[in-house]
Amino acid sequence: MRSIDGPQPMEHESKRLLSGLGLPVPKGVFIKKTEKKISKEEVLFKTGGIGFPLAVKTVCPAIRSKSEAGGVRLRIETSREIVDAVRKLMEIEGSRGVLVEQMVEGGTEAIVGGLIDAQFGPVVMFGLGGIFTEVFRDVSFALAPTSPKEAQRLISRIKGQSVLQGVRGRLPVDFKTLGAAIVTVSRLMATGLIQEIDLNPLSLFPRGAFVLDAKIFVLPAEHFVLPDEHVRPGITGYI
Amino acid sequence: MNLSCLFNPGSIALVGASHSEHKLGGVVLRNLLRLKRRIRILPVNPKFPSLMGTKAYPSIDEIQGRIDLAIIIRPAPEVQVILEGLAGRTSCALVVSAGFAEAGQAGLQNAIRNAAREGGIRLMGPNCMGVYNSATGLDTFILPPDRLPRPNAGGIAIVTQSGAVLSLLFEGMTKTDMGVSITAHYGNAADIDESDIYEYLENDPGTEAVISYLESVRDGRRFMKRAKALSEKKPLIILKAGKGAAGQAAAFSHTGRLAGAYEVFHSILTQYGICEAYDFEDLMDGALALSTQGKGRAEDRRKAKETGRKKQKKQKRQKTSKGNRVLVLTNGGGAGVLASDECMRQGLTQPAIPSSNLDSLRKKFPPFYGLGNPFDLTAQGSGKDYLTVLEELGESYDGFVIIALSAVTGITPALAGILEDFKKRADRPVVLHTGQDEVGKELVRAARKAGIPSFATPERTVRALEKLLSW
Repeated sequence: MRSIDGPQPMEHESKRLLSGLGLPVPKGVFIKKTEKKISKEEVLFKTGGIGFPLAVKTVCPAIRSKSEAGGVRLRIETSREIVDAVRKLMEIEGSRGVLVEQMVEGGTEAIVGGLIDAQFGPVVMFGLGGIFTEVFRDVSFALAPTSPKEAQRLISRIKGQSVLQGVRGRLPVDFKTLGAAIVTVSRLMATGLIQEIDLNPLSLFPRGAFVLDAKIFVLPAEHFVLPDEHVRPGITGYI
Repeated sequence: MNLSCLFNPGSIALVGASHSEHKLGGVVLRNLLRLKRRIRILPVNPKFPSLMGTKAYPSIDEIQGRIDLAIIIRPAPEVQVILEGLAGRTSCALVVSAGFAEAGQAGLQNAIRNAAREGGIRLMGPNCMGVYNSATGLDTFILPPDRLPRPNAGGIAIVTQSGAVLSLLFEGMTKTDMGVSITAHYGNAADIDESDIYEYLENDPGTEAVISYLESVRDGRRFMKRAKALSEKKPLIILKAGKGAAGQAAAFSHTGRLAGAYEVFHSILTQYGICEAYDFEDLMDGALALSTQGKGRAEDRRKAKETGRKKQKKQKRQKTSKGNRVLVLTNGGGAGVLASDECMRQGLTQPAIPSSNLDSLRKKFPPFYGLGNPFDLTAQGSGKDYLTVLEELGESYDGFVIIALSAVTGITPALAGILEDFKKRADRPVVLHTGQDEVGKELVRAARKAGIPSFATPERTVRALEKLLSW
């Protein structure tokens, strides 16, 4: 049943799609790997518009966990560090390039996902990130597509709901943006062209949110082709 | 399509009828011959000219005229040909025989489905017991009534994927004196499935509430649509078995690994506000709770009809209008605490006694009564005390858990009358937990008549109230 033979979008491509659908993604740029070692000037030119601190991630379809493979560098504050990080991560075997993004920290991590259920067809999922999903499986599902109202109900059904309301003096997260992310993912699922999708984590703030990582598994079908690797060169990334 | 050919047929052919009640074909024939209403029974058997005193037909080709329902009890490989022979003149076929998809013979099942479809026949089964309709006595079950007594006629419909669970339900309902309207065991669901049956039950006048046991559904979207439509008209409780199925093993994403079949199922039932039973006991308790409420509603509907206010019948019920504010009124501290614990688990709230009522209650009761929630009348509490509290607080709560441990002298069967009067006035759900002694049993019987269900533990009592409040 599950065969993935279509071209699977890489992280920056997934994010570009999500950004195009109105989801907030961190400001960033994809630097494609080339035969020649990348020059210092090129790194600084391409990443210069983002602003420190930066996060650098390898873009490598072959590895499942970027951080376990040493493919992530966080909180980069200087030009020297960024050049070094980009060059190092380019060297990872199978790497197609690196993604340099603005560093986003301090949000409440959530997961918004979607899949095609054997009985119900496209469904959307919401849960809190990290330990809440890993250990407690505190997630809830709804049929896709969902309305904004239904999305809020989906959010309210998880047990760890109070974390979103703000505990230990934290402010509540931006429920409107979170709801919008759920609705967008549900609509994407409802196209029937996506097999599975993860926005994990979706980092939630009192105002706004960021999709920090995204995986999209396209159904093995010819009719949904993402733009290929040719991301717009330049410094603005996909914001 | 209307399934009245299945639930209310005017003519029934029994292919594989037998003269012996030791054979399945004989058990079913005996059941059919007991029918209260006049229905043409057409046994088919090549060897005998008559069976159990009824004319038999050597083959289906000899039967003249239209057949509403053909029951087929023949070995699996023969069924396709039988269906082809019934094509064009049969509305519905019930294939009792096993040996199809459940035995790895998906090909055989596809073949009979296609044969039925091409012949314009709706197909129930295969591998199923079919239908019991208490209103007409229609009974296609291969389990003889002396081995599995049928419950009394009543307002609860049963829709089940499993025959074993059906027999458990029948036993449980007989024991607790609950009545059934229509029962359907649809087995492998090659054609007719739970959704079709829900659709029929929406407008079945004899059915006041529906309980349904499911292991899987074929088309989840359609299932949700029909379940939702049914539950807007009548209470529906679903017990979904097979909760342990892990996440989709070959999943690529985090989401896929978290999406166990049951997690998705449960979420979507919640999304659509469909009532779900946690386990078998919960399903039975829910059925009992709803069945005690049914009569009142049926009466309301009749009254509405009489006065010409037919619109009321069509009105969609408001799920959340009943609220979740509960008063636990007890004469035993521990039982009250257990009830409170369960209220918390079920998401029911127990607001404190309004201060405006507190002064007047204090004047009426001795100082050692616990005027909280649970409201503790202690072992000295009497029926009159229950009445006092309910009169004072009847408007302040959405539902009432009455705990009346019957080993104390203050509790007599007369309490049932007090509760009945209160329930009529307040028109809010009331549930009862009492003892198992003679007084308790009498109280249970009297309360039941008054539309107040009783349960053997405080927790089950609260869960039943939750179902009444959420419907």
